[in-house]
Amino acid sequence: MPEPDQSVLARRKEIIAAMRAIVPASGAVIAEEDALRPYECDGLMAYRQLPMIVVLPDNTRQVAAILKYCHENKIRVVPRGAGTGLSGGALPMADAITISMMKFNRVLDIDWDNRACVVQPGVTNLGITRAVEHRGFYYAPDPSSQIACSIGGNIAENSGGVHCLKYGLTTNNVLGIEMVTIEGDILRLGGKGLDTPGYDLMGIITGSEGLLGIVTEITVRILRKPETARAMLLGFPDNQSGGDCVAKIIASGIIPGGLEMMDAPAIRATEDFVHAGYPLDVESLLLVELDGPVIEVDHLIDRVGNIAQKCGAVYSRISESEEERALFWSGRKNAFPAIGRISPDYICMDGTIPRGRLSDVLTGMQVFSQRHGLRVANVFHAGDGNLHPLIMFDANQPGELERAEAFGADILKLCVEVGGCLSGEHGIGIEKRDLMPEMFTEDDLKHQERLKLAFDEDQLLNPGKVFPVLHGCGELKTLHARAIAAKFPDIPRF
Amino acid sequence: MAETITPTSSSQLRDAIAWAVADKVPLEIIGQGSKRAYGHTVAASHVLDLSKLTGILFYQPEELVISAHAGTPIAEIAALLADKNQQFQFEPGDFPLLLGDGMTSHSGTLGGLVACNLSGPRRLKSGAARDHVLGFEAISGRAEDFKSGGRVMKNVTGFDLSKLMAGSFGTLAVMHTITLKAMPRPETTRTVIIPCDDVSFAGRAMTLAMGSENEVSGAAWVPASLCSACIHDGAAQEIAASAQNAVALRLEGPEQSVIWRAEALARLLGDIGPNAILPMADSLSLWQAIADVTPMQGNAGILWRLSVPPASGAAVVTALRALVGAGEVDFMLDWAGGLIWVRYVHCDISLASHIREIAGQAGGNATLIRAPEDMRRDFPIFHPVSPEISRINHKISENFDPFGILNPGRMAPLSPGASVLADMKAGA
Repeated sequence: MPEPDQSVLARRKEIIAAMRAIVPASGAVIAEEDALRPYECDGLMAYRQLPMIVVLPDNTRQVAAILKYCHENKIRVVPRGAGTGLSGGALPMADAITISMMKFNRVLDIDWDNRACVVQPGVTNLGITRAVEHRGFYYAPDPSSQIACSIGGNIAENSGGVHCLKYGLTTNNVLGIEMVTIEGDILRLGGKGLDTPGYDLMGIITGSEGLLGIVTEITVRILRKPETARAMLLGFPDNQSGGDCVAKIIASGIIPGGLEMMDAPAIRATEDFVHAGYPLDVESLLLVELDGPVIEVDHLIDRVGNIAQKCGAVYSRISESEEERALFWSGRKNAFPAIGRISPDYICMDGTIPRGRLSDVLTGMQVFSQRHGLRVANVFHAGDGNLHPLIMFDANQPGELERAEAFGADILKLCVEVGGCLSGEHGIGIEKRDLMPEMFTEDDLKHQERLKLAFDEDQLLNPGKVFPVLHGCGELKTLHARAIAAKFPDIPRF
Repeated sequence: MAETITPTSSSQLRDAIAWAVADKVPLEIIGQGSKRAYGHTVAASHVLDLSKLTGILFYQPEELVISAHAGTPIAEIAALLADKNQQFQFEPGDFPLLLGDGMTSHSGTLGGLVACNLSGPRRLKSGAARDHVLGFEAISGRAEDFKSGGRVMKNVTGFDLSKLMAGSFGTLAVMHTITLKAMPRPETTRTVIIPCDDVSFAGRAMTLAMGSENEVSGAAWVPASLCSACIHDGAAQEIAASAQNAVALRLEGPEQSVIWRAEALARLLGDIGPNAILPMADSLSLWQAIADVTPMQGNAGILWRLSVPPASGAAVVTALRALVGAGEVDFMLDWAGGLIWVRYVHCDISLASHIREIAGQAGGNATLIRAPEDMRRDFPIFHPVSPEISRINHKISENFDPFGILNPGRMAPLSPGASVLADMKAGA
């Protein structure tokens, strides 16, 4: 992380007073150590740092005033939603103001005719669905933390979930945002219409991990809930045949509402925990959900069943009720705590691979497991190739945390090597920042940083996240164009 | 006459841009030139022609991924996808035919498609080109190679520069390789067609349909001429011909499901008026014509494209119609009312500011698609953005293309006599 700026720390009292003038509500500026403690980390608890102060504004005007003050006084800012992020994207800094957006917690408008819902960023993901479900609508992206994570955080991380393959990520379900720049300007991007002129700023804000601005209002697309949904459990004797079945389902033209996979260690751990009825004699378990009209779901279940049989499925079970469907999902959704029961600690990794390389990557993980002397269990979004290896370790054993981190890095490097990426849905944050060069060249990263400069030239917003090295503004603006001596004689021209 | 440079590889492309950077030579970036008349005329002395930078690099149907060089014809990619029963879900139409003289159908390249962020009727359900770009490789206006994204469906590794490139009209960097998500073609399709001249009723029908459980993948209000050209089923033809306009609502998916949903939708909308269900062949033909905006093709009149909140489409049409006398304006609605095609028969620049105002008040925007050259030169083609947004756009542009050599003026007109360097990205 960047070194704390001592001159800023020396002005802490003055900054607190300024924040209290902007956000006068009682308790809205937190400066006492005990009260700051809950903000010292997000869902990635291996990294902790007390913030300089925490401010909880409750309207856009206050956010704009805070950021304008920070810009004028060169004070760093860390935006924070519900704090459920898993890559340390909301990790505080000792010399920075953490701005918590959790007082922005209202649903502002439900526009049924335009199938749009306007919410504040502190509303939980599930809160949106709760607000619209009485008329049969829902919000599609559903990260595992949906009961707690905020939609503002979802924007920051471009969150996914089990419905992504069919219904898209956050970026595909956001229609408009209001955001505040570090200079205190309020921008409205997009709206209830579909296309907007100019560069797609809303598209690049989504997934930008709080480095470009603070989102203060969000308009999302809401969808009519499918008439029905049924889930299938399909067991295979090995990961290769399970992976082949995933590929064949998709190649046949079926895009399931959810398509998840678990390996043997994950199956055993979750079954011991929730007793979902998972078979214990298979090495690979697919959880396939089909949604839509009853007539369509019945038809697709038959087709998927046939494909699975041809791929060598040794176990097949179809949910016959909503309760049974929920039971099937309970195992998958409790996989993380289930691993927590059999290991003192675990790290959840998050890489994406081309689906066809699944077997190679799982084999590679076994090699790494031997090398680092640690166990690994796998649950993943098989439909879109997003892996979540759970590396088990004991933080009380000297060296195990470091071995677990090295194991995780090996897995992510392998993901990149086979054509995948470092993060499918958790973001880079502080956790994977130093692995960025595995995927990107220096010039790739510089172009991303140049986008950052366009929004935040002084690099005050969430510094230390995403980029392994922060280039100086002057360095990024320098042009290293290679002059061509001859006028490219080899290029066809006329 | 502008000199044309035609690279056949990414390294040649980089060399050409490096030369342009070194000599401060503005370049107009084109593929087949099929969308050259979309946006402002580019102020460039040289043309960088990517039409020879072609080739499909990989296609993995089971991964739903295809990657190709930017100059690859869209028609070639579409044919390959069709062989495996797949397609681009964003359903781009034959846009060049809207732009006037000299254009041929099925032209255009992958690079142009993404750079213009095109999409068709399925936009309201499945997104635009921007939603389907998984990654790209490009040369920026600094003559530096860079890439973003990759070839996998879920990827939050760094900023999503693919979104920035889609719809940037080649003003930031020249993409040479693009990877997109493909999706399965629906097994079958049907369309519920409802004769309906009253645009308010049409809007209500589309809103009802989109809010139902029937997973409507296309909702349009089209002139009867389109129905008569595309519908050959006898009963449906008769019903469609009973009005000057009709609402078309598309269902796609497995056959049993589509038939079931089409019948459910026809029942739901029975109060709006009599309706018919088009068979697959007629349905495909009709939606291809809607994607291609066939009623607005040709060279006549001024053509605008408005994007507004869908439920406000009918009110916007009423307001636009009030600007001129009867018979002087034609409309077609897509995206359940969210996309309005408007053709004014007479070229009258005084209408332009009214159209912008009406679109803006509805929470949308208006783009000038086709107009005489003097109007295209003098009037902003794209809807103006706020000064704060414009300032950020300008900074992005300066950071990616500091000398303004890539498609200068394409997204905003250069003011007369201004230097290219100072003015070219002013409104981007």
